[in-house]
Amino acid sequence: MAFSLKKKYDDLEQEISGLPVNSYNQLVFKKFLKHKLACLGAVVLITLIIFTFLGPLFFETAYDDMDFSAIFAPPLSENHFLGTDEIGHDVFVRIMYGGRISLLVGIVSSVVSTIIGLIIGLVSGFLGGVWDKLLMRFVDIMLSIPLFPVLLILSLVFGSGVFSIIMVLTVFGWMRVTRLVRGMTLSLRETEYVMASKTMGQNRVLIILKHILPNVIPIVIVTTTLNLSYAILAESSLSYLGLGIQPPMPSWGNMLQGSMSYILGTSTGYNPWWLTFFPGFFIFITVLNVNFLGDGLRDALDPKFVSES
Amino acid sequence: MKSYFLKRTLELIPIFFIISFIIFMLLNAMPGDPLLQMRMDNPRAFAQDPERLAELREYYQLDDPLIVKYFDWLKNILIGDLGFSSQYKISVSELIFSRLPNTLLLTVTAWVIGIVLALPIGIYAAVKKYSVFDYSTTVFAFVGISLPPFWFALMAIILFGVILQWLPISGIETYGIMGFWNVFVDRFRHLIMPAIVLGFIQVAFWVRYIRAALLEVLDQDYIRTAYAKGAKERRVIMRHALRNAMIPIITIIALDIPYFFGGALIVETVFAWPGMGRLMYNAVLASDYNLAINCLMFLAIITLLSNLLADVLYVVVDPRIKLDERKGG
Repeated sequence: MAFSLKKKYDDLEQEISGLPVNSYNQLVFKKFLKHKLACLGAVVLITLIIFTFLGPLFFETAYDDMDFSAIFAPPLSENHFLGTDEIGHDVFVRIMYGGRISLLVGIVSSVVSTIIGLIIGLVSGFLGGVWDKLLMRFVDIMLSIPLFPVLLILSLVFGSGVFSIIMVLTVFGWMRVTRLVRGMTLSLRETEYVMASKTMGQNRVLIILKHILPNVIPIVIVTTTLNLSYAILAESSLSYLGLGIQPPMPSWGNMLQGSMSYILGTSTGYNPWWLTFFPGFFIFITVLNVNFLGDGLRDALDPKFVSES
Repeated sequence: MKSYFLKRTLELIPIFFIISFIIFMLLNAMPGDPLLQMRMDNPRAFAQDPERLAELREYYQLDDPLIVKYFDWLKNILIGDLGFSSQYKISVSELIFSRLPNTLLLTVTAWVIGIVLALPIGIYAAVKKYSVFDYSTTVFAFVGISLPPFWFALMAIILFGVILQWLPISGIETYGIMGFWNVFVDRFRHLIMPAIVLGFIQVAFWVRYIRAALLEVLDQDYIRTAYAKGAKERRVIMRHALRNAMIPIITIIALDIPYFFGGALIVETVFAWPGMGRLMYNAVLASDYNLAINCLMFLAIITLLSNLLADVLYVVVDPRIKLDERKGG
C-alpha cells in the first residue's frame, strides 16, 4: 500500500515536472507584457532616461552656451533642432539637461518618501495601540494641511537647490504610502502564519521583515510610480512659480517660466511658442508614461486586482 | 446622527490647534523681515531715526518668544483681527474678503464644469464597458491626470488668446467697460479659460472614479434581479445602480474641494486672476507675513471643513453605515 502510494507520488511529480513552471516573478512579468500601454510606458521612460542622461555627451553645446547668431530661432532651424530662446540657448540641449534634474528630483524624492512611508506604516500597523493612533492622527493632520502653499513656503525656507527641493517633496510625500501599508499590515498581522511565528517566539523585527514586508512590496511599488508622477509635476510647478530649480540651471519647470514673458509676443513681434510648448510637452510625456507604467504594474503585481483591460 | 456630527466637529478642535501651530512655525521659519516692506517704503525716515526700527519691533512685539506670539495670533484670529498687510496697506480681512468672491466664482464654476462633464462620461463609460467610448475615456483620463496644469493653461493662452485672439488672456475684467450686460459678458469671457483648465484636470480623476464606482454596483445581485424582473435598462441604471453608486461619488466630490483651492493657486497665477491663490502666492514671495499666515490658515480651515463635510455626507447618503463601527476602517 505504502509502496503504491509512493509510486503514484513519483508519477505525479514526473507529470508536473514536464509542465512549464512559472515562478511568481515570471507570472508578473508575463502579465505586465500583456498590458500594452504599460510596455509603451516602460520603453518611453527608459528612452527618456537614456536621452537625458547620456544625450548631452553627444552634443558640444552646453546648457548655458549662447548662440548670438540665432536668437529666437524657430524649431528645425540650422544647428538648433528645437529652436533657441531669447539669448540663444539651444532648447533641445536645455531639455536634456533639464530632464536630468526633473527626473532626478522626481525619482529620488519619490523613492525616499515611499521608503519613509513604508517604514512608518509597517511600524504603526504592527505595533498597534497608542503608537498606531498617534501616528495615524499625525498622518491625518499632515494630509489636511493645504499642500501646495506649504510647499511654496518650505522651498523658501530651505532655499532652492536640487537637494532642498528633494527634501521638501519628501517631507510631504510619505503619508499616503503610510496609510496604505498600515492598513495592509493590520490585516496581515492577524493571519495564521504571523500568529504561528509569534507563538514560536520569533523576533518582531524578523516577523515584519520576513512575513509582512514581502506582502506589502507589490502595493508599495505601485505607489512609488504614483508618487513619481506626482513629484515630477510638483517639482515642475514649483520651478514654474520661480521657487524650485533656479536658472541658469535648466529644469523643465523653470524653462516654462522663462518663456512666460514672451508668450504675448509683444517684445519679439511674434510668438515663440516653442519655448513654452517643448518643456511642458516633455513633462507631460514623462508623467503620462509613468502613469501607464504604474497602471501596468498594478495589474501585474496585485493578485486581488483583476485586470479590466 | 446629531451626536456623530458633534463628535466629528469636536475632534476638529485639537487638529485645528496642531495645524495652526505647524503653519505658524513654518511661517516663522520663512526668511525675510516683516518690517522690510516698511523700511523699503520709507528709507529716509529709518535712516534719520535709527531707533525707530527698535521702537517698531517693540510695537509689533517681534522679539517676543515664539510661543507668546503664537497665542497672540490665535487670540487675534478669534476676535477677528487678522492684522495689516504690509504689501497692500489695508487690513488682511478686508483683502481676503475682497478676493474670496473671485476665487469662489472660479472654483465653483470649475467644480460645476467638472461634475457636468464627469458624471455623464463616467456613467456612459461604465454602462458601455469595453466599448470604443470606454477605451477612449481611459486614454482621456490618463492624459488629463498627466497634464501639467500650468502648461495646459499656457498653451490655452497661446492658442485661444494670442493666435486666435478669441478670449482675453489675463485678469478678471477689461478696464472701462460699462453697462450690466457688457460687464457680464466681459466677466464671462475672462472666466472661460481659467475655469475650464481648472475643471478639466478634475474631470479626468472623477471619470475614472465614477466609472469604477458604477461598475462595482452593476455587478451586484439586485441589479440582476431588477433586469430579471423586466425593468428597462435606463430605469435599472438610474433608479437602482446610480443611487447606490452615488455614495462614494458624492464623498470624493466633496473631498476634492480643497484640491480646487490648491489648483486655483497655479491657475490664478497663470491667468493673473485676482483671487485667494494669487494673493497668497504674492504674500509669500513678498514676505507679507500677516497676509501669508492668515491666507494659509484660511485654506487649512477650508480643507478641514470639506473633510468634515465629506464624512458627514458619507453617513447621510449611506444608511447602511453604523456610526460607531466606522472608526475602525
